Amino acid sequence: METQNSCQNNFETSEILATFLATTQLLEEAWRFCSIANTTFPGAYLVEQIGSVAYVAFSGRQMESGSDQSCRNLVSLDAEDGGRFAPLYRHSEEKESIKVHNGILKLFLSMYQSLQIQIAALMGKVKSIVITGQSIGGTTASLSALWLLCHLQSMSSPTSTVLCITFGSPLFGNEALHRSILRQRWGGNFCHVVSKHDIMPRLLFAEIVNHDSKIQSLLNFWHWCMASPHVIVTGLSSLLPDDLKDTIFHCVLKDLELLAQAEEPSESFFRPFGSYVFCCQEGAICVENAASVIKLMYLMLATGSPSCSIEDHLKYGDYVAKVSKQFLKARNFHEEGLPDSSYEAGVALALQSSELTDKEPVQDLCFPIQNSNLRKEVAIMAKNCLQMAQNDHKPNLTAANLAIKLSKIVPFRAEIEWYKACCDEADDQMGYYDSFKLKGGSRREARVNLNRHKLAGFWNSVILMLENNMLPHDFDRREKWVNASQFYKLLVEPLDIADYYRTGMRREHGHYIDHGRERRYEIFDKWWRDRRVPEEENKRSKFASLTQDSCFWARVEEAREWLDNVRSESDVTKRHLLWHKIDMFEKYGRKLIKNKEVSKDVLAKNSSFSRWMEEWKELKSQVQQFHPWFSDFVDGEVVP
Amino acid sequence: MDSHTLGEITGFREELIKKTCSIAMEAHKSPEKPYLVEKSRTSSDVFFSFPGSWSVTHWFTRKPFGAIKIDQSELLSPKGNDKVATSIKSIGRDDLATVNEGFLRRLEMILSSSSLQSEVEKAITEKKQIVFTGHSSAGAIAILATVWFLEQYLKPEKSRLSPLCVTFGSPLVADFIFNHALRRENWSQYFLHFVMRYDIVPRILLAPLSSMEGELQQILYLLNQKEMFPIQGYIAEASKFYETVMRNASALASHAACQLMGNTNPILETVASFIELSPYRPSGTFVFCTGNGKLVVVRNADAILQLLFYSSQLCSENELETVAERSLNNHFDYQSALQESLNMQNVVNLDHLEGLQLSSNGAAAENIATNMALNDLGMSTRARLCLRAGGEHEKQKLINQKRMDMKKADIEAGLAMLEDYKIKSAVCQVGYYDAFKISKDEDDFKANVKRLELTGIWDEIIELLNRYELPEGFESRNDWVELATKYRRIVEPLDIANYYRHAKNEDTGPYMYKGRPRRYKYTQKWREHALRMPVGSSGESCFWAEVEELQLYRTTNPGTFEDIRERILNLERKLEEWIHGKQISNDVFLEGSTFTKWWRSLPLQHQSVSRIQGLMNS
Repeated sequence: METQNSCQNNFETSEILATFLATTQLLEEAWRFCSIANTTFPGAYLVEQIGSVAYVAFSGRQMESGSDQSCRNLVSLDAEDGGRFAPLYRHSEEKESIKVHNGILKLFLSMYQSLQIQIAALMGKVKSIVITGQSIGGTTASLSALWLLCHLQSMSSPTSTVLCITFGSPLFGNEALHRSILRQRWGGNFCHVVSKHDIMPRLLFAEIVNHDSKIQSLLNFWHWCMASPHVIVTGLSSLLPDDLKDTIFHCVLKDLELLAQAEEPSESFFRPFGSYVFCCQEGAICVENAASVIKLMYLMLATGSPSCSIEDHLKYGDYVAKVSKQFLKARNFHEEGLPDSSYEAGVALALQSSELTDKEPVQDLCFPIQNSNLRKEVAIMAKNCLQMAQNDHKPNLTAANLAIKLSKIVPFRAEIEWYKACCDEADDQMGYYDSFKLKGGSRREARVNLNRHKLAGFWNSVILMLENNMLPHDFDRREKWVNASQFYKLLVEPLDIADYYRTGMRREHGHYIDHGRERRYEIFDKWWRDRRVPEEENKRSKFASLTQDSCFWARVEEAREWLDNVRSESDVTKRHLLWHKIDMFEKYGRKLIKNKEVSKDVLAKNSSFSRWMEEWKELKSQVQQFHPWFSDFVDGEVVP
Repeated sequence: MDSHTLGEITGFREELIKKTCSIAMEAHKSPEKPYLVEKSRTSSDVFFSFPGSWSVTHWFTRKPFGAIKIDQSELLSPKGNDKVATSIKSIGRDDLATVNEGFLRRLEMILSSSSLQSEVEKAITEKKQIVFTGHSSAGAIAILATVWFLEQYLKPEKSRLSPLCVTFGSPLVADFIFNHALRRENWSQYFLHFVMRYDIVPRILLAPLSSMEGELQQILYLLNQKEMFPIQGYIAEASKFYETVMRNASALASHAACQLMGNTNPILETVASFIELSPYRPSGTFVFCTGNGKLVVVRNADAILQLLFYSSQLCSENELETVAERSLNNHFDYQSALQESLNMQNVVNLDHLEGLQLSSNGAAAENIATNMALNDLGMSTRARLCLRAGGEHEKQKLINQKRMDMKKADIEAGLAMLEDYKIKSAVCQVGYYDAFKISKDEDDFKANVKRLELTGIWDEIIELLNRYELPEGFESRNDWVELATKYRRIVEPLDIANYYRHAKNEDTGPYMYKGRPRRYKYTQKWREHALRMPVGSSGESCFWAEVEELQLYRTTNPGTFEDIRERILNLERKLEEWIHGKQISNDVFLEGSTFTKWWRSLPLQHQSVSRIQGLMNS
């Protein structure tokens, strides 16, 4: 029922968003610098400052590394980047690793050192940075922006101060990169401007191995044109042989069509990230959904011709000037049959702006064959495509509904709290971790287990919604949610750990912390770390109600294993190592207890931890008494 | 659609409107006088009007938009903690309105250096209808003067008669919180603003000073030339100025529209942080004059912002110079346009925006007048979609309110259950605060679940308030203020008990400073606002938090008394008040209560002279 409701009053916003972006003059300024970089800084970039904003523009004329066969391959980012993009893959549990186009990465790395110095000089001087570039310069701009975002994040600086604007720049990363950027919530820092027919952003979709020399001539042609920005573009592509234009055009179109029709994103193909602004004569639209972006790329190319697909790569100046001036004039819907629903009307306007209506355009030199069937088909597909791009457009309502769901789920958490309190008072003095681990099958524990699953399901759905941009952008900084997730984590994660070790997952997969920890807990760790509260040193007067390290019990389990092993270990070096680890754990445990950061269940007489401490003490005293070969460990000091 | 006259739609007498217009224009002729006062011979109206000011520094005192929070001046926001808080803010969130500093300082100056205040007070004693009016920047002064009156005289009930404010081509003076507050106080209806279709002045403050530093002074100088208008020599400047203002208005309007339409693309906020978006928003009732005699009346502030931008758009590129010229000329057309419009009485009341027709032609019979008037304001399909979004937003607020109203029964039921819990706990001589803090029985567990359920409902309300997604009047609705107070008094002690039971004070700090949930802070402010109580004086529901802190202090610093003597005396004084006012019930004095035990631990000498000694022993 809720979804129906929100559908009724939905609006289609891809066009008004593009209007906003175009009106701000950022696109115009960025293009101005790109154009200067193209003409005067081949193979390099320029840095300019306007007020409190710095512009870094990469030239579209870069040394082509395409001749080297290996450069065209996709390479794993973590293997090649020297750790510069670590935040992108550090906590990834993807099957597929992040891969990028080798040549494009190499180009970025070749500029990295000087860029790093330039950017460091800008920081502190400016409030924000726009990184921009056309063509291959745009891919370098994207990687530079990604690197800068990683860098800022590692310094805990705000990342909203970086904006990357590319013009007609090819895609260079895979689905894993796309997902990682979504997960970091950096999609909003990338704005890719693509003119309607420009083949360059679509070029890497095609299997172009067999057409190396043709591609090379095309790139050379473009570079030559970019060097002289005042050349009149229309008709210029007649300088290129028809055979070259046709081959490349149809090759790209064919492969793009297959890709646009695929249901699932393919791991080995390029995937867009960030927002795409498609510019046409009639206007512009801004789309973020990756599948929609690929479909629109296909549809717009399908309505073009080989010549205009090449010339459009050189027309960004015209397109940008046009869309940035559009605000002045009232723009009506000049066709019959405007739907009355706000959403449908918005779609009709967006289609009109993107020239994907079934009506033939008034004047467009780019259409050699005017196939009206094709246009109709395109119009229908484009409409579906915009609908697909429309995810839940009421983030605040979604958040409010989520708050209701939270209030319904919280009593389950309260029951677990109650369970913990009962265990704390129980005669067996085990604490809730061990009770749950030991009595997994009994009725009360089964109920707790059910609650645990309900809570996990709820929090997983929260994360999913957040990563699909269905929630307000500051959701993960809202106190209510940060606190609720932290409380949940501290209370319930010990039960997850108990379940993990009870069900023998340790033997199958390895220890919990490295192999069993659910991603949600890592995310909640991050929310908690990122909240803007100065960490104050507080002396606790009594034990915390929940152990402050939610992985505490997992560490106990690991220590237990070490303790078992150290007895039987015959290799001296290994034994030393184990002994050292155990000793470290004891210190860690004692520190927590000293600071009263553990809850009292940890210290219950029969808890795993208390029993472990007993055994450990016993072993130490045995060692001191009976095993002279252990004597070098006395008091945990290793004497060489 | 029934046709109505301007008077019927706005509630302003037409003869009064006409009069304000001529008085407002008249004031420009004597710029040396800080204000003009004119009494009507036929009615009890007293008109106050102001001359305009044309210096850039009066418009923009600082970059980017010359705006300050109202607490920077004592005019609209009284200083000092023990006083009643200003109304020009959102209550729960406590966001103060932002206003244009130049205009506010000018009003301050007028009030301190002229007899305006005494004239106003005289009019109050004579039970006159006070009308503030102004044209151009004087309109801004009139708006602020009216709010000053409302805050200083009407709110404290020093005057029974509400003032009126009529402006012509006035720049915007304040942000959306200002509008929020006026609507909440039901004051919005006293403001009527006329705007000619192309008049640039109401739009100027939508652009940052930095974008038009070159032209602004020159344009203001031209505008100061009153009737004789030497614009011909300045077409280029006028065009550039028009384009700059429109570009910024467009960015603001499309940004606002994206938000209204629920766009979630994060690029919106990233890009917004790279540019300067004006904080100013419309408030009150706007009357747009089409220029051919028609009038369009709008009250929805979101829609007015969209109209301010879209109605000034060009119909074709070659219109630029003509429109740029009109954008200045239009500023002096109010008298003639008003005359014409009042004769024609072609007035459209633009409500039910969410159902507005989107295309400019082929309207159904009942919509023809609206459609034609919108066409005459140059409203394109895209513009109309934005107006609809404004309408939908308003509708959504009402839907949200209805949804929360439906939860009132759940809240009542939950409170009744906790009320029972409180009575039951008192039987065991500990009181529900301590019973809950110990949490030994199933009843305590059930009370906790109920507490959490209620938390969910209230947090949702708070969340909606934080996003300004409830109708403006919500926080001053009597039924909700009462329910919230009841909720706060019963449930907040449980939250405090929970807080100290889990020793959260050691993780985060004292409850009052670090741990108090917004649902209690907000609702306490609701009550203080509704009853015009001093800030922070309705803290009865936090009684236990202070007890806990004082007790902790005495445990960690054994034997000390003098350091916290003042705090103890203060707590006792307040407790006495609250007990007499039945805001706190007697169960705090039960034998097993934390409070009783703590109080008994105080020095006997103190106990024997304490003001609550009688209460403790009875």
